[in-house]
Amino acid sequence: MIEVLLFGAAADRAGTRTVRLDVKEASTLAAIWPLLADRYPDLASMRDTLAFAVNGEYAKMDGRVEPGDEVAVLPPVSGG
Amino acid sequence: MFAIVDEKIDVGALIEGARRPDCGAVSTFVGTTRVDEAGDNSVEYLEYEAYRPMADRKLEEIGAEIEERWDVGHVAIVHRVGRVDPGEASVAIVVASPRRGPAFEASRYAIERIKEIVPIWKREVWSDGYVWVGSQVGTRPG
Repeated sequence: MIEVLLFGAAADRAGTRTVRLDVKEASTLAAIWPLLADRYPDLASMRDTLAFAVNGEYAKMDGRVEPGDEVAVLPPVSGG
Repeated sequence: MFAIVDEKIDVGALIEGARRPDCGAVSTFVGTTRVDEAGDNSVEYLEYEAYRPMADRKLEEIGAEIEERWDVGHVAIVHRVGRVDPGEASVAIVVASPRRGPAFEASRYAIERIKEIVPIWKREVWSDGYVWVGSQVGTRPG
């Protein structure tokens, strides 16, 4: 199981701020993204604008994800 | 001091906290809510959300980057989350340095880096809906 946190416009698109995904072994963000995109089609169209974090640090699509990890879906940041 | 807060930012206290005898310059940048208008509608307030504790850590990283690049005696960055009304501060950056050049430069650098790497999101709440800044997703017509 992994926990996925969604923020800002991504949370709006998915209609939720947290998602649990049944991931039983080590995987990558690239392999996990389709699970999210299939469940939340409105989120899929944001793909090119999204960044991701694993356990609180930015990660690329080949970044490893293990069961128990926290994945965050990050729309373009806009602090300030 | 690097902090994300949900109450009003006390800019005066941040400036007082930056003063020291070996620094001849204290530069302050304050980002505030601006009322934009489009047609008959306008921004009523901004609302910020953060991914913590990653956002706290990224603010500290910016502080470390500044201390590496410039001769500074003090850096403070405070970002507010939640509702921020017109004219109120959403972010305050205070840098003290022996001389003015590094103080100005580091202050500018901090706000630009916040907009690049700190996981904080801003929503403009208009009289007719809202828009996530950067993503342009929301409920406003058109």
